[in-house]
Amino acid sequence: MIDPTDEPLSVSLDMDLTWRYAAGDAMTRFLEDVGRGRLEASRCDVCGRRYLPPRPFCGMCRVRIDGWVAVEDTGVLEAWTVVHLPIRDGRTGEMRPSPYGMGLIHLDGADTSLNHYLDTAEPERLTIGARVRAVWRRDRRGAMDDILHFEVLS
Amino acid sequence: MRPVAVIGTGQTKHAKARLDVSQPELVREAASAALEDAGIRPQDVDAVVISNMELFEGRAFPELWVGEGAFAAGKPCLKVATGGTSGTSACIAGFHQAASGAFDIVLVVGFEKHSEGHTQTGMALTDPFWDRAVASGAVGNFALSISQYMSARGVTEQHAAMVAVKARRNAANNPHAHLQMPDLTVEQVLESRMLAHPVRLLDMCPQSDGAAAIVVASGNAARRHCRQPAWVHAAVTRHDQPYLGDLDRRLVTMRALRDAARAAYSEAAITRPLADIDVAEIYEPVTYAELAWYEALGFCEDGNAGRLIEEGVTGMDGELPVNPSGGVLSTNPVGASGVIRVAEISAQLMGRAGSRQVPGVRTALATGYGVYAWSDVIVMRTEKP
Repeated sequence: MIDPTDEPLSVSLDMDLTWRYAAGDAMTRFLEDVGRGRLEASRCDVCGRRYLPPRPFCGMCRVRIDGWVAVEDTGVLEAWTVVHLPIRDGRTGEMRPSPYGMGLIHLDGADTSLNHYLDTAEPERLTIGARVRAVWRRDRRGAMDDILHFEVLS
Repeated sequence: MRPVAVIGTGQTKHAKARLDVSQPELVREAASAALEDAGIRPQDVDAVVISNMELFEGRAFPELWVGEGAFAAGKPCLKVATGGTSGTSACIAGFHQAASGAFDIVLVVGFEKHSEGHTQTGMALTDPFWDRAVASGAVGNFALSISQYMSARGVTEQHAAMVAVKARRNAANNPHAHLQMPDLTVEQVLESRMLAHPVRLLDMCPQSDGAAAIVVASGNAARRHCRQPAWVHAAVTRHDQPYLGDLDRRLVTMRALRDAARAAYSEAAITRPLADIDVAEIYEPVTYAELAWYEALGFCEDGNAGRLIEEGVTGMDGELPVNPSGGVLSTNPVGASGVIRVAEISAQLMGRAGSRQVPGVRTALATGYGVYAWSDVIVMRTEKP
């Protein structure tokens, strides 16, 4: 463990652990729908705001949310980037391949936007205001990456 | 609430890796320097507040391990961890403790030792159901928001590069700063490596090892120990909704910062920020954020931030010098960075800022920022409230 170099003494530690998180009502319903290829937003009964990601509470009205509305898997690209900096996947700890495209997507029927991957095959088509569509995985399992990425519509 | 002031500040030499000291020793450097600057002894400190993003270094209870370094053993001690605002929020907690009458003298110490941890991975360990699947770290998240901000406000890569140059040149006057680049040019910034379009290497803050401390005193204690205390006139903190796609959490909107600024300006009777404030230390982890903060903080109308940097309004000789220290762009030990902002404006108000001193400072502003979701705004003056 002791680092045998000329530098001041330091120690290195490694560990391999598993964490387990409860999904709760809102995320359970949402992920089950995603597994069926559907997207739903949670809708606050007070302000009517349709939230995606869905959530159990409206932060602005400070009430529990029970309502749901269907959302299209098409929308408008509000912001985009191509990331060249490698990053570790927050679920697996593995390095994610780079470069990759990221977008903020305002889906048709939602009032918030979601951040997701973009298809970068034709990077010149990535523009703010472009229409985009979700590209779904065939073998869905009820997780956010059942949507592989979004692609710009022609 | 009693009036409160900062009566002393201390900072380490901030660097990429402080292999020469352990975390408690790093904390002690800043804490000792602040006590010395205030002219008080460890036994004069009634309570301690510690700021640190514990997950970055992967160890629990940092306040326990480093507490003795901050003279906390046997005293009331608490820890604040709110992302980038950890340091300013810890300062505000210290202000509240002294203002409430609970304590007369509070030592606030913030620190981070990024070289000993995994900052980018720590940043990615967010909401396990949504954000982790699509996390792109601080740089990717900024880049997204920046693309929308540039399009909406007409800000260019050149404007951002001017911010980078101003920061690193200012840092050359700051003996504590991590990145000191007195000869940096706009061209060099624009030629630096692309990290996430349009953000380049020299647009981003570094990851630093460092600690900073302030000594907070209630009115009477401040008068007793300090000829020119830096008086707190407003200290506001705001929290916002959780997800990156939530509409108010963008560089173009920044509801939390705008709300905090409005409340702080109202409390401190600031009506024309550009004219009323003499120096500002704002939390700008990326060049474009500084431009967005100019607008959110009311230094200019929305859409005029580019003009402000072009005309040198926020340079050392401008109407409102912003970040004479070099800012977060030159030094970023996250848990310390907010404390550095407050320490820097306190030193400016006390006339102790050395070769980065702005002449005639009477009103100063410090801000904290964390992942769009947290914002802190602090106004301090030479005059007692």
